[in-house]
Amino acid sequence: MSAAVADTKNASTLLEVENLAVEFDTYGGTVQAVRGVNFTVQAGKTLAIVGESGCGKSVTVQSMMGLIPMPPGRITAGSARLRGQEILGRTLVDGREIRGSQIGMIFQDPMTSLNPTMTIGKQIAEPLQVHRGYSAKKAFARAIELLEMSKIPEAAKRASQYPFEFSGGMLQRAMIAMAISCKPSILIADEPTTALDVTIQAQILDLLQDLQKETGMAIVLITHDLGVVARMADEVAVMYAGKIVEHGSVDDVFYRSAHPYTLGLKLAMPNNDPSRQHTLQPIEGSPPDLFSPPLGCGYCARCPYAMQLCCSKHPQEFVMSGAHYSRCWLHHAAALSKPEELYFSATQGDQ
Amino acid sequence: MSDYTASDFLPLSRQEHKQSLSRPSLSYWQDAWIRLKSNRRALASLYIILGLLFFTLAGPLIWRADPASQDLDQVGRPPGADRSAILVADYAPFNSGPNNATSLHLLEPATTQAVRLQWQALEGANGHRVYRNIFPVGVEKAYGIPLAEFLTNDVDSFEDRLDMKAVTYYYSLVALGPHGELLDGAETIEVDVQRVTTLFEAIDRGLISADSDLAIGDEISLTWHPLGTDYLGRDMLARLMAGARVSLFIGIGAPLLFVLFGVFFGSVAGFIGGKTDQFMMRFADFVVALPFLLFMILFKITFGIGPGESGVFPMLVALVLLMWPATARLVRGQILQIREQGYIHAAQLLGAKTPYLILRHMIPNTLGVVLVTITFAIPSAIFTEAFLSFIGMGVAPPTPSWGSMSNEGIKSMLMTPHELILPALFISITVLAFNLLGDGLRDSLDARMRNQD
Amino acid sequence: MWSYLLKRLLQGILTVWFIATATFFAMHNVPGDPLSDERVMTAAIRANLEAKYGLDQPLMTQYLIYLRNISRGDFGISFTQENREVNDIIREHFPVSATLGILAVLFATVGGVLWGALTALYRNRLPDVLIMFLVILGISVPSFVVAALSQLSLVNLNDFFGRTILPVAGWGTVSHMLVPAMVLGLGTMAYLTRLMRSSMLEIVSSDYVRTAKSKGLPPERIFTRHQLRNAILPVVTVLGPSIAAITTGGFVVELVFAIPGLGRYFVEAVQQLDYTVIMGTTVFYGAFLVFMVILVDVLYVFIDPRVELN
Repeated sequence: MSAAVADTKNASTLLEVENLAVEFDTYGGTVQAVRGVNFTVQAGKTLAIVGESGCGKSVTVQSMMGLIPMPPGRITAGSARLRGQEILGRTLVDGREIRGSQIGMIFQDPMTSLNPTMTIGKQIAEPLQVHRGYSAKKAFARAIELLEMSKIPEAAKRASQYPFEFSGGMLQRAMIAMAISCKPSILIADEPTTALDVTIQAQILDLLQDLQKETGMAIVLITHDLGVVARMADEVAVMYAGKIVEHGSVDDVFYRSAHPYTLGLKLAMPNNDPSRQHTLQPIEGSPPDLFSPPLGCGYCARCPYAMQLCCSKHPQEFVMSGAHYSRCWLHHAAALSKPEELYFSATQGDQ
Repeated sequence: MSDYTASDFLPLSRQEHKQSLSRPSLSYWQDAWIRLKSNRRALASLYIILGLLFFTLAGPLIWRADPASQDLDQVGRPPGADRSAILVADYAPFNSGPNNATSLHLLEPATTQAVRLQWQALEGANGHRVYRNIFPVGVEKAYGIPLAEFLTNDVDSFEDRLDMKAVTYYYSLVALGPHGELLDGAETIEVDVQRVTTLFEAIDRGLISADSDLAIGDEISLTWHPLGTDYLGRDMLARLMAGARVSLFIGIGAPLLFVLFGVFFGSVAGFIGGKTDQFMMRFADFVVALPFLLFMILFKITFGIGPGESGVFPMLVALVLLMWPATARLVRGQILQIREQGYIHAAQLLGAKTPYLILRHMIPNTLGVVLVTITFAIPSAIFTEAFLSFIGMGVAPPTPSWGSMSNEGIKSMLMTPHELILPALFISITVLAFNLLGDGLRDSLDARMRNQD
Repeated sequence: MWSYLLKRLLQGILTVWFIATATFFAMHNVPGDPLSDERVMTAAIRANLEAKYGLDQPLMTQYLIYLRNISRGDFGISFTQENREVNDIIREHFPVSATLGILAVLFATVGGVLWGALTALYRNRLPDVLIMFLVILGISVPSFVVAALSQLSLVNLNDFFGRTILPVAGWGTVSHMLVPAMVLGLGTMAYLTRLMRSSMLEIVSSDYVRTAKSKGLPPERIFTRHQLRNAILPVVTVLGPSIAAITTGGFVVELVFAIPGLGRYFVEAVQQLDYTVIMGTTVFYGAFLVFMVILVDVLYVFIDPRVELN
C-alpha cells in the first residue's frame, strides 16, 4: 500500500479503534467482554457490527462513549481516535465535548432510555444548551425543528409532552432527533430497532438513511439482525466472543463469507429468495464463557469444521482482499479441508 | 509457516468437540437458600433470631428465677454489682439514749437496715429538717429529698429506713425558723451505707442453710442476678425472658395471623375478580386509610384490660385487624400478575384444573413475597407493641414486655440506666435482625424485588 | 383534576366520619360508661355535660348530637379539667405539636433525600458504609430510647460545659425544638434514606441516565435533572405515611421531653380516661392525618407527569 493511498484513506477515516479490550469484574470473576477489537469508521459511511447477544458489540461502542460503569468495567488496552484525537478513558467531565456533540448515540429500548419526568422537547434541547450554548427558549425551538426533521407530526405539540405519551416508534424518532441535535459526525445506533415492530423498524431505518444523506454523518450500527445489515451497511464487522471474526464490505461478508460463524448466521436467517429456499439451521451450542475465554478460536466448540489447533491457538487475521479479512484457521495454507460453502481467497496462504 | 504440524489441521473428533457445560440444576428454594447463605449479614441475623427464640423458650428452663418476685435487698442493682452483705441482728427499735453529740453524727454504723443520726440543735434553730441526697450538697444547697421535719428542738435524733441502698448518702440537717422556714444554718455528713441482712432473712431466702454456723458480722453473698434487678428488685434476666415471650408472641404471632388473613383475602379477591374484587379492595383501601396507632389506642380503651389480664390478646387482635390490608393488596396484585403469565395459560391448555394451578403455581410463586412480607412485618409489630407499652397503652403491669420494661426503666434512667438499656437493646437487636433477614430474604427469593445493596 | 380532588375529599370525609363513629361507639362501650353516673365528677362539669349531650336521651340521639357538634367543629368539654373546652385544648397545644412535627418532617425528608443520594453516589465506600450503619441503627432503635438517650447526653453535655448549651426539656425557644425535632424525625429519616438510596441506585444504572451521559451533559446537571428528580418520586409516595408516623411518634417525644403538645395531652387523656378529650383529639388527629395523606397524593400528581387523574 503506497503512502499516497494511505493518506487518502486516512483523510476519510473519522474514527479509528485499535486493539480495544474491556473487562468487567463480577462476583463470578472477571469477564473479558471485548478482547482486542480493531475497526475504522469512514465519514458518511455506515459500519454495522453484527453478532449475537453477549458478544461484546454494545460494550465496544459504550466503552468508546465512556458509558460503561467503571468499576466494575475496565478498559485494559487499546485506543480509539476521533480524527486522530484519543477519546478513550475520558471521564464524564472532559469527554463532554465529544459525547453528544461529535458523537451522538441512540439506544435499544426507547421506552426506558428517556427521562420519564422531563418533556421530550427539553430533553432534545439539553445537548444544544450544553454544547452550543443556546438559551433554553432557542434550544426548545430548535428541538421542535429536529422533531420535524425526524418526521414527527405535530412536533410543536409533541415537544411539550412526556415520554409516556409517545409510542415506541415515536420515542425512537425523538431519540434520533436528540442524538443528531448537535450535528455529530458519527451516530452510534445500538440496536435501534430491536424493541420495535417490524413496520416501525423499516420507518426508523429509512429515517436514519435519510438523515445520513442530509447531514453526511457516519453511522455505527450495532445489530444482530442480518436483514438490517444488508439494508443499511457499507461495511460489516462480525463479532463473536469479544473479537471481530470477519470484516469486510457488505458484499464481501454476505456473498463471500469467509468465516464459519458468518456462514452459520446466514443459514439461520430466513430468506425470501425462492430459488435459495432452505430449512433454517440454528447454530448448535452457546457462546463460550468469557470468564475464562478459550485459548483458541472462540467459535471452535460450535464450529462444524473445527480442527485440532482451533481450540488451542487463536487465529490471526487472514486477509481475503483489501479490507476483507477472516480470523479462521481454515484459511491457513496448511489447512487440509476447504469447505466449499466458505469463500477462499485466491491469494491466501502465501504468508 | 512451519510452526504448525499437519496434525494440527486434522478435524476434531465429535467427542472432543462436545462442550461440557452442565451445571447442576437447582430448585427455586435450593437456589434461594444458597443465595441467603452467601449473605453474611442475613445469615448472622438468622442465628441471632434462633438465639432469641432459644432465649425465650428454653431460657426460663435454665434460669428459673421468678420474674415477679422481689428481692428487697437488691433494688435497682446494675449487672455485676457487688452482692456481699454482712449478717446483722434483727431490727431493734430505735432508742436514741443520752445525747452527747457535738454535731450531726452517726449513732451506729450505717447499714441498709437503718441509718441512725443524732445531733445537737443548730444555732438559732426552732426546729430542724433532715435531708438525704445522693450527690454532694454543693454551693447550690441541693439538700436532696426531705426525710423528716421537727418543729421543736426536743427531737435530736432520726432514724432513716426509707428505701436504703448500699451507696454513699449525704445527710443534711437544716435549721428551721419559728414558722418552719429554712434558715441558713445547716450541717452535712457523708455516710457510706453498708449492705446488711439479718440471719432470719438470709435463711428465709435460702441464701444460707438453717444449720450453718454463720454468726452476726460474717459476710455472705446475696442472690445472684446476672443482669441486675429493676426498681422493684425483680430479676432483670427473668423479666427479659418473660418480656421476650410477650414481645415475640405479639411480634411474631400478629404478623403470621394478619399475613395469613391478608393472603386469604387478597387471593380470594384476585381469583374471583370483577365486582367482588373491586368491593373487597375498596374495603381494604378504607382500612388502610384509618390512622393506625390511633385505632390501636381506641381498641385498647374499648376492650380495656380487666384485673389479672395481661392485655396481650386484645393487642394481637387489634394488630391483625388493622395490618392485613397491605398483604392483601400485595397478594392480590401478585395473583393477578401470575394469572396472566404464559405458564398458567400453558398449564391450562395442558388440562390443569384450578386446584392444581393454585397448588402448583399460585402458592409457590407468591410464597416468596409473603415470606418477605412476614419478615418485615415482625419488626414493625414489635415496634408497635413497644410504642404502645411505652405510652402505657400496651400490656398491663405486672406482665413484662420489652416495651413496658423500657417505660419503667426510663423513669430511673439517670440512676440505673441498665433498666432502660437492657430491654431497649433486646428490642433493637430483634428488630435489626429481622430487618436484615428480610433484606436477605428479599434479595435471595425474588430478583425483581432486589434492592441493590 | 377537580373531579379527582372532589372524589378524594369525599373519601376523606367518609373516613373521618367512620373514625368519629368508631370513636363514639368505642367510648360508649368502655366498661364504666363515660357518660354514666358511676364516674365521679364535679357538679359543674356534670351540669355542662348533661346540657350538652342530652344524656337522658337514647344512644342514637346522643350519637346524632355528637355528629352535629363535630360537624360544627365543636369537640365538647373536658371531663377532668373544669370548664375547659376540647377545642381550647387543641387550639392551645396543637400549634406546638405542629411546629415540632413540621420541623421533624423537614429534617427527615431533607436528611433522607440528601443522605440517600450521597450513599448511592459513594456506594460501598466509606461515607456509604458509615451512613448506612447509622441508618440501620435509626431503623432498629425505638424512638423513645433515642429520646431518652439524647436527653441523657444533653444532661451530660450541659454538665460538661457547666451551663445550659441546649435545654433538656420544655418548650419555647428554637433551642428547645432542635433536639426533639431531630429525635422525632430520625426513624423516618433512616427509612427515607434507605428508600432514597435504593431508588437512586436503580436510577444511576438506568437507561435514561446512560442516555443523559451519552448526550455529554455535565455531571451536576445529570444529578439534578435526571437522577434526583426521578429518585425523589418514591420518597414522595411515602410522605403521607411518614407524616402519620411522625405525628403519632410525637406522642412519645413530647412525653419524654415534657413538651406541651397535643400528643402529650392525648396520651394523658387516654391514661386518665378523659373521654371527651380522647374523642375530640382522636377525631381531630384522624381528620388531620387523612387529609395530609390526600394532600400528599394530590401533590404527587403534580410531581409525576405519568400519574393519570381518575
